[in-house]
Amino acid sequence: MEPVIEAVHLSKAFGPKVVLSDVNFSVQEGESLAVMGGSGSGKTVLLRTIMGLLTPDSGHVAVEGNVIQALDRQTLFEVRKKIGMCFQMAALFDSMSVEENIGFALTRHTDMSKAEIAERVDECLTLVGLRNCQKLRPAELSGGMKRRVGFARAIALKPQILLFDEPTTGLDPVMTDVIGRVILDLKHQLGVTTITITHDLKSAFEIADRIALLFRGEIIACQPPAEFKANPNPVIQQFLRGDAEGPFLTDPPPPKRSTNSVSHQALVP
Amino acid sequence: MLTHLFDRLGTRVLKAFSEAGDFAVLSGRTFIAVFKRPFDSANLMRQFLAVGVNSIPVITLTSLAISMVFAVQLSYGFRQFQAEGLASQVQGLAIVRELAPVITGLMMAGRVGSAMAAELGTMQVTEQIDALECLATDPIHYLFVPRLLAAMVMLPLLTGFSVYVGFWGGYALLVGVTGQSASVYSSEFYKLLAFRDVRIALTKALVFGVIIALVGCWRGYRTRGGAEGVGNAPTSSVVTSSLWILISDFFLTKLLLV
Repeated sequence: MEPVIEAVHLSKAFGPKVVLSDVNFSVQEGESLAVMGGSGSGKTVLLRTIMGLLTPDSGHVAVEGNVIQALDRQTLFEVRKKIGMCFQMAALFDSMSVEENIGFALTRHTDMSKAEIAERVDECLTLVGLRNCQKLRPAELSGGMKRRVGFARAIALKPQILLFDEPTTGLDPVMTDVIGRVILDLKHQLGVTTITITHDLKSAFEIADRIALLFRGEIIACQPPAEFKANPNPVIQQFLRGDAEGPFLTDPPPPKRSTNSVSHQALVP
Repeated sequence: MLTHLFDRLGTRVLKAFSEAGDFAVLSGRTFIAVFKRPFDSANLMRQFLAVGVNSIPVITLTSLAISMVFAVQLSYGFRQFQAEGLASQVQGLAIVRELAPVITGLMMAGRVGSAMAAELGTMQVTEQIDALECLATDPIHYLFVPRLLAAMVMLPLLTGFSVYVGFWGGYALLVGVTGQSASVYSSEFYKLLAFRDVRIALTKALVFGVIIALVGCWRGYRTRGGAEGVGNAPTSSVVTSSLWILISDFFLTKLLLV
């Protein structure tokens, strides 16, 4: 079966800094892949390359057999209509209300009437667990609400692929769980193929069929959660432990001090 | 030392050429995108409001101030050789040919061009422009085109309005203060003017509108680097477009007056 998304020998550098050196993976229809990796390891660059927002230095990304970098703009837009992208900070249009944000693509790309659009907006908001906030402005929403409105905007055109860029970063643990559930709901109700970029181990293990770890520009493992957990690679084990000591960091971490040995009284002159 | 100097000079020249090329490509894409579908009339109306209607107070104030000061200067100057009657004729000529289009252009570069750069710059650094791309919408078509059309329509209209205000500014000074006859002022104001002058003024305004919208949008679209970048975008947009307004004003005057 032909994969829905395929990255082949992808590399991307910004000046002297090589972000992706040789990335290869494929995602099958209906599958969810979680891509993990350290801060600045190029996870977002990977997602932006899939969307065609960045051009790789070599290699390519193919979505449903279309090589993104080889498409003309019109065909690229046609492919993008099949992909919903959820940005890290939601990237809602701040001059528009929630309703206008979600209905944006519908207004531009479909012949739907205003009533039909309003109905679809309501449907999308229900899917992400937010109702009756159509008239609010993005500035009036909390971080978690913004992300969910971003999800609703991404699913409005009923895409077959959803890309999530760090959907839980900067949210409290409870809201992180809510977002994780929303992603699972979307996956089950819409049957979409998803790629989720995340730092959060708990949500990655919950939502993913396979987990990939991006390390120094390459994907060093891409396995189902149970196998990933059991992978003996010291980098993966260090990442799972969340420990500063190990091969994960290029620069040595600062020494660990025992909190017991620091007395507040001793610091007060 | 000398190689270092040439190195820096070369880098600057290359940067200037690459920026000019980038501006030319984006401008070309904007003009092509004007004819593309879908046509977003609501968005265009919002821009007409922002560029045109909301600029009326500032154009009224500046045109009034400039025309009154100019009338004071003219009446003082012509009084030196007992030719006060010429003041209203020269007032008309100066306002229609130069002051109205240039003042409107410069004020709009400050009011509208900077707002475009700031708005698009903020959209760029908050990934809203990327979001547009991901929603299969060409940012050039959605953001640049309505702003360009609004500026191209509104600048000539505002220039016409500025001429009208300038007429009354001169009237207030020359008739109200220096005691010239109202009917003489009204007929003398248009005496040296031909239809060609109005055409020149409107052509200038149209070109200034194109400069303001394209430079403002371009500077905003190319914003990088967070808050500092957003802060720099309006400044550089105002400086660049004001400079080009003054340069193009000279060449337009030379070309169109022949």
